[in-house]
Amino acid sequence: MNLKFDLPAAQQQAFTPADGEEIRYCSPYDIGADGKMKHDGYIVVTNQRLLIISGQEAETELALADITYLKCDPLVNNGILIARTVQEPEEHILARFTMKHVSRVAFIAKGALLLRDGVPKQVISREYDKTCPVCGRALRGTKECPKCSHKPSVLWKFFKLCGAYKGRLAIIAFLMLCVAVVQLMVPKIQQVFIDDYLKAGKGGMQEITLYAAILISVTGVTIMLHVLRYWMCISMGTKMSMDLRQMLYKKVQILSLSFIQDRRPGELMNRIVNDTRQVRRFMEEAFAGMFSCIISMISVVVVMLTMDWKLTLMSVVFVPIALGLSISFRKNIHRRFHMQWHRFDKTNSGLQDILAGMRVVKSFGTEEQEAEHFRKLTDDFAKIQEKNEVFWASLFPIISFVMGMGVYVVTYFGGLGVLEDRFTVGQLQQFINYTWMLYGPLGWMTFLPRMITQLMTSLERIYDVMDEEPLIKDHAEAVELDVKGAVEFKDVTFGYRSYEPVLEKINLSVKPGEMIGLVGASGTGKSTLINLIMRLYEVDDGQLLIDGVDINDLRIEKYHSQIGVVLQENFLFAGTIYNNLRFAKPDATEEEIIMAAKMANAHDFIVKTPDGYNTYVGEHGYSLSGGERQRLAIARAILNKPKLLILDEATSALDTESEYLIQKALERLTAGCTTFAIAHRLSTLKDADRLVVIDGHHIAEVGTHNELMEQKGIYYGLVTAQLQMQALKGEDAAEATEALA
Amino acid sequence: MGFKNFEGADEEFDLAQMEAETEEMLRLRYLNKDNAVFARTAGGFVSLDIAEGEKGEPEHYDRVRVVRSFPFTAPTTYISIRTTEEKSKEIGIIKDITKDVSKDTRKMLEEQMSLRYFTPVITKIHDIREEYGHAYWDVETTEGPCKFVIYMNSSSVVSLSDVRLLITDLDGNRFEIPDFTQLSAGELKKLDLFL
Repeated sequence: MNLKFDLPAAQQQAFTPADGEEIRYCSPYDIGADGKMKHDGYIVVTNQRLLIISGQEAETELALADITYLKCDPLVNNGILIARTVQEPEEHILARFTMKHVSRVAFIAKGALLLRDGVPKQVISREYDKTCPVCGRALRGTKECPKCSHKPSVLWKFFKLCGAYKGRLAIIAFLMLCVAVVQLMVPKIQQVFIDDYLKAGKGGMQEITLYAAILISVTGVTIMLHVLRYWMCISMGTKMSMDLRQMLYKKVQILSLSFIQDRRPGELMNRIVNDTRQVRRFMEEAFAGMFSCIISMISVVVVMLTMDWKLTLMSVVFVPIALGLSISFRKNIHRRFHMQWHRFDKTNSGLQDILAGMRVVKSFGTEEQEAEHFRKLTDDFAKIQEKNEVFWASLFPIISFVMGMGVYVVTYFGGLGVLEDRFTVGQLQQFINYTWMLYGPLGWMTFLPRMITQLMTSLERIYDVMDEEPLIKDHAEAVELDVKGAVEFKDVTFGYRSYEPVLEKINLSVKPGEMIGLVGASGTGKSTLINLIMRLYEVDDGQLLIDGVDINDLRIEKYHSQIGVVLQENFLFAGTIYNNLRFAKPDATEEEIIMAAKMANAHDFIVKTPDGYNTYVGEHGYSLSGGERQRLAIARAILNKPKLLILDEATSALDTESEYLIQKALERLTAGCTTFAIAHRLSTLKDADRLVVIDGHHIAEVGTHNELMEQKGIYYGLVTAQLQMQALKGEDAAEATEALA
Repeated sequence: MGFKNFEGADEEFDLAQMEAETEEMLRLRYLNKDNAVFARTAGGFVSLDIAEGEKGEPEHYDRVRVVRSFPFTAPTTYISIRTTEEKSKEIGIIKDITKDVSKDTRKMLEEQMSLRYFTPVITKIHDIREEYGHAYWDVETTEGPCKFVIYMNSSSVVSLSDVRLLITDLDGNRFEIPDFTQLSAGELKKLDLFL
């Protein structure tokens, strides 16, 4: 998202920069003080001032140093920028804007505050604009507007991509030429047959047989050529989309988590699956057809011109008319069928809604009402469907008539020509055939712009990912470190968004083999701290040292292979338990796997399943309970004998008894291994060497359980609160759950 | 469980607090000209003074949010007056601003509401152009001319009643057509795709 618009010339008059003053952020605001839409308002933040420019005047001018409070307040379908200053200590409105700019202004407000505080960081937004701020075109998940950005066009990239398949392209081009030549030959053969044999009365059985044989063989050759060409196109399209898909997948995997998390879950999936399919479909359906149409149309026109240029012109004149008419017909049809689809969608979702809520419908006794509601929906749909079918049935012949207009003209004037002896009957027949060849593909050609646009959007989205630079990557001198387990945070600051630190100036030194319990309310940054240790994100400021080496200097893969991770939601891949367990260590022996499973208290339940370790899990597989999943994940993590073990709510889904058992097992396991554990159930952490309480982006308390209880600080509060809740729930409930397990 | 020894330390205090929170959750306080004084602030917002609060003490709020409970169906009744912080709490409800408060106050609150809710009413449709899954609108609204883009799906144009439409664009801006039957035949034709 662009946070620095170019200030238009008219608005620049309102702004005279002082010495060394430069614009850092600039955004339009589009609602005036009177509540009307506004087109000449800008919010400008320089390294010294904040200006609200309206037209050619600066309406408000604040020195950054005077601002005590600055915030974008999102309201309903619009937002306001609020400030407090030294001079005006009351909150007041600086500017008002539509949703188009709310997020932008929020970023800019944070940026302005950073500038005020002398932090040199430029705030950037990874969000995408929904519409192009310049031309208003809808952007489909791409950073820049394809129309307004000046980077090498996607079309050019597409050609470069095609370059990799030169050989195939050459064959396809050759085949298309052959098809064109053969197609041109057919009417000529007919002409010769009609004029020289049929009309001349020379032909006998022999000629007719010969003619039929020639036609059959020509048709056979055409079919073969078509099949070959189609086959080549399909194989090229498939190859191309496969290559693109692999490239995309590799790229997505390299890109840091933040890239993936900034996007909606389905979006990357869409790009890898749908967008590459779009490319394939284009190559298969449109690419070859497009060129063969153009080639055959041009050659047909050339041949026609050599026969009779006047008649040719007469028939060609109707091409643009037929094209225009068929486009407008198509638009109309599209509109109607879109409406039908829209109703269909409504009916469908209505039905789904009712069926899903059947329990509620029945228990409230509103069956009649819902039936009536559904009847209305299907009625609507049926009506529009009927209308459309009738329309289509009556329109289709008209369209065919229009598309054939050129042919009627040729027939009429060509017929006159035959009567006047300027033409032979065979030549007229040949000419009419060529005209049909000219008009035939027109209907199909009207779909081309749509197909090309679809291809372009898909390519744009694909290249949007391809052009992204990974934030975390090995640099040239990265070292392969055998981790011993010392972790040190030195003034570490980090935030998922550049303006919003989640952790600030964290200092913590952990000895090898120590177990650290991380405690704090949700959203305080415990998981973030762990994400940093896992190096899923890079610290913004300060240093994170592993055995005294900066984490950024480690070779990522080697480092990751020495970390064991158990999360609250543990993902198991579709496959057997056996394969899932040895995910991180493919060469693990059966004995190692059983030992790991025993340690995680998983062996018993695994062996109880009919297929034991070969039990298939994942979607459609054996369904595991949350606790069982967690135990498998623990086994998976410890199999690798990690030097750093990370437990993020690792035992939350377990009952107290198995938690206790696993704790005992883990104790043995974590003996030589540095462990970071997060748990809401604080009793889980009672064996931690030290507890670290995180609150308000900082480390608030550090110490053992007993030390912190004596301090009577945050930890003490959390412990007592949890005991209250347990007491409230009552012992009965606890006993019941234990009995069930 | 490892913390048996701490059990019951502050139990009663906490229970009392939870009781109080539940109590507060259920509270419904009506504000009117007798118990609440609204005033404009220098910054363009509204402040609130309640002379005698629930427990008899005066309450003062530098700035309050004025929120409609039924923004589409009842814009002048059940107006919730709330605090401005993120976990905004309800201070009270004005049952009917046309009756329960003075003219001045009503004007003040309506200003705040027109600030909060920005839903231009479409008065004229110049053009609706459909292109590849999006529709580009060019309209005249009560707040001036406007161009916007919507997705071509059923949630972009919602019927609030038989004649009333609410249109949401890609960015999340909303536009209203209070009665589409009032539009000209040409405009209706452009719109019929969404009806």
